[in-house]
Amino acid sequence: MLRKFIREPLVHFLGGALLIFAFFWATGSNRDPAEYAISIDETDIERLKTGWVQNFRRAPTQAELDALIDQEIAEEIYYREALRLGLDKNDPVIRRRLFTKMRFVDGEESAIAEPTDALLQQWMDENPGKYALPSLYDFEQIYLGQISAADARDRINQLNGGALPSAFAQPLSRPSALARASSAEIGRQFGDRFAEQLEKLEPGTWSGPVISGYGAHAVKISAKVPGQKAALEDVRQRVVNDWRAARQAEQEEETLSRYRAQYEIKVAGRP
Amino acid sequence: MRNSLMVAACTAALVLSGCSKIVEGEDGNAEVMNTEYPEQVFWGDTHLHTDNSIDAFGFGNRLDAENALRFARGEEVTATKGSKAKLSRPLDFLVIADHSDAMGATKAIMEAPRIALLTDEFLLRWHDMMNESDEGSLRVTGELIDGAAKGTLPTSLTDPEETKERTANLWTKHGKTVDQYNEPGKFTAFMGFEYTPMPDGDNLHRVVMFRDGPKKMGDTIPYGALGSQDPEKLWGYMEAYEKKTGGKVLAIPHNSNVSNGRMFAMSKFDGSPIDAAYVKTRALREPIVEVTQIKGDSEAHPFLSPNDEFADFGVAGWDKCNLSCTKDMPPESYGGSYAREALKRGLELTLAIGANPFKFGMIGSTDSHTSLATADENNFFGKHSGNEANNKTRALDPQNLGTREGRFGWHYLASGYAAVWATSNTREAIFDAMMRREVYATTGPRMQVRFFGGFDFTADDIADLVKTGYAKGVPMGGDLSGGDGEAPKFLISALMDPESASLDRIQVIKGWVDATGKSQEKIYNVSWSDADARKLGANGKLSPVPNTVDLAKGTWDNATGAPELVTFWQDPDFDSDQNAFYYVRVLEIPTPTWPVYDALKFSLTLPDSVIKIQQERAYSSPIWYTPTA
Repeated sequence: MLRKFIREPLVHFLGGALLIFAFFWATGSNRDPAEYAISIDETDIERLKTGWVQNFRRAPTQAELDALIDQEIAEEIYYREALRLGLDKNDPVIRRRLFTKMRFVDGEESAIAEPTDALLQQWMDENPGKYALPSLYDFEQIYLGQISAADARDRINQLNGGALPSAFAQPLSRPSALARASSAEIGRQFGDRFAEQLEKLEPGTWSGPVISGYGAHAVKISAKVPGQKAALEDVRQRVVNDWRAARQAEQEEETLSRYRAQYEIKVAGRP
Repeated sequence: MRNSLMVAACTAALVLSGCSKIVEGEDGNAEVMNTEYPEQVFWGDTHLHTDNSIDAFGFGNRLDAENALRFARGEEVTATKGSKAKLSRPLDFLVIADHSDAMGATKAIMEAPRIALLTDEFLLRWHDMMNESDEGSLRVTGELIDGAAKGTLPTSLTDPEETKERTANLWTKHGKTVDQYNEPGKFTAFMGFEYTPMPDGDNLHRVVMFRDGPKKMGDTIPYGALGSQDPEKLWGYMEAYEKKTGGKVLAIPHNSNVSNGRMFAMSKFDGSPIDAAYVKTRALREPIVEVTQIKGDSEAHPFLSPNDEFADFGVAGWDKCNLSCTKDMPPESYGGSYAREALKRGLELTLAIGANPFKFGMIGSTDSHTSLATADENNFFGKHSGNEANNKTRALDPQNLGTREGRFGWHYLASGYAAVWATSNTREAIFDAMMRREVYATTGPRMQVRFFGGFDFTADDIADLVKTGYAKGVPMGGDLSGGDGEAPKFLISALMDPESASLDRIQVIKGWVDATGKSQEKIYNVSWSDADARKLGANGKLSPVPNTVDLAKGTWDNATGAPELVTFWQDPDFDSDQNAFYYVRVLEIPTPTWPVYDALKFSLTLPDSVIKIQQERAYSSPIWYTPTA
């Protein structure tokens, strides 16, 4: 029983702490006086007074102020003693609170400056996909209905052989032709699945079937204007929003990496 | 004393949180062309909560307005509980509608330095509970909702004067964010808030949305139910705003299903009879109603509409007790809780008073408290951050907003969205479409619904339904009169959401006042899939569409329904002396509910009681017929 008790880590910890305490007590040395100095200066007193005024709508009396100061001192003493006893350790609430505060303090230091046009342009160049003006299509489509791909292919072959669209077209209140339509506009009309398939189609001929949620379509692209880079002026607000959001995330990551570099981190199962 | 402390604490917290510098938003002055008539339907959510709502933050939501806007625009964001969230398709507009009462307060209480709260036992207790754990935070929110229902909240949270400064600071910052994401022609971000009166737990909530940006709004700040619970006071605030700024604002009642009969009561808030002034103001201020959302569907109830086999959608769990579940709701109260009944009451009041207070269009919206406007069954982020997509047991957990038993996760719907037929995607065009009620509700899927009424249509007009509809008739939300005794005719089309399910049927729901002055209703099946095989019975009922849902896979077969239904319909039971309204209900074929997707994802066994298959739907705004005097 006793042997088991002696093996308990907590017992080791408390035993160690007692030894250290005993050493300082016995020698009266090795004690940093600054850790035991408490000074309440004018700024602190002003802060206490202001807090009081906000709460009570009047200045504190001298007695009240003294009580506030004593309370402040008592709190500070208990706070430091608690730290010395390690009461802040392994307390998830305190940990999360400090995490939040630290995040805030770091965020405060690195307030995001106004982006210059050069910075925005650079950001756009680094994210070409995000601000590219989309490809535009001129195309016709014939709705073939909810039929099998084989049947649809057969009808598309006939269309290319000269059959009239009216021979196969099923009614659907979607446009039979769109001009200079972006994939977003096409997606609104026919669904994103349909829009995505246009990229691969060869222009100038009836092709498909292009499948949408409605069913099968025959599609003939007559012209495709490839996507271009947008000018900053066309998309400025969006670029500023995105740049700012990204900058903020980046800064948090940067700060964390700066700290993290000082730590040796091992995670079970992680290389 | 407590009041001023609250202000101090919150100001401190705001100083702490409101530090990033924000560029002045552009005034939406880009050239946007308006089309000649409303050619496009725009999709949006008019009812979304962010971390500035006291309950949303209390429920754990840590996403701000900027995240909400980015998400609605189609960007991927990280939800509060860590999962990646993205819409399959972006929305076209968004109204962030945080609760005006104690806006930002829970955030402020939690983030306030503890020392600032030491002399306020009440707030300190909440501060500690919120900081202690997620469960503690949920308990605080429960106490908040309960306290709001019972009127026992501390005055520090309830005194409008005391909270004014905090709200004003927060509102200014919010306005800048909203403006930065408003991009005329591409995406519209509206200013708005939710007015949240809850007398004895009965829901009288309204979303208030502005046509204007923060520049015109100036120092206008949201109006709280703590100012008054009487909606007439809210309308007064709205009128004052319009007079002062020349701007425009509207209010959208919602969750009438848990109002205990009070949302569409036949009397004023104080119990006195409805008079002409009330009718006029209400009709002007509340042109649309949110009939479907996460906390249930308020279109119809089987008790009120026993002949409607589809009246039970989104009713389970919501018809027993009021919002906070502090009071049971007897079926006799349902009349003032459901939209169809309200439309009927509106006709009766028209005869009695000469004008209709309940002349509203219908929209859906989410009322999500996660900052994520999700209404798709397979991408549902839940009512609040405790129930985001990562929560394995959310479908089966008890979910009481108040303190009593009654509701479970699966009672909550992945619903809905607002569809608006407008001439451009701008604040002005979308708001104006809402004022003329050219809007409809869906429970999530984006089916396109057109509904025109007139006396001059012929069956051939369905060939060019939209142009003819506008040329010879009125769109949904409009008025008909005259017709020389002839029954009105309607052009109706419904196109499936190409990313969702095909369509079962279109119904027209007619309400009218009979010769005895009593309102009636009738449901007509007017167009349906597989019309060769499915026939109307003698009672007007149509055989159900086959159910193809495979619960083991979460799939269904779109070949059973129709991609599109288009029809011409004339009222066969018309009496030109009777006031009437007509609206359209479009049903999808059966599809799985969100708990089914959760069950597949988390390998859950769902009890029999859980609704697993539903028919999602759209509700158009009505067209009203008024006899010529």
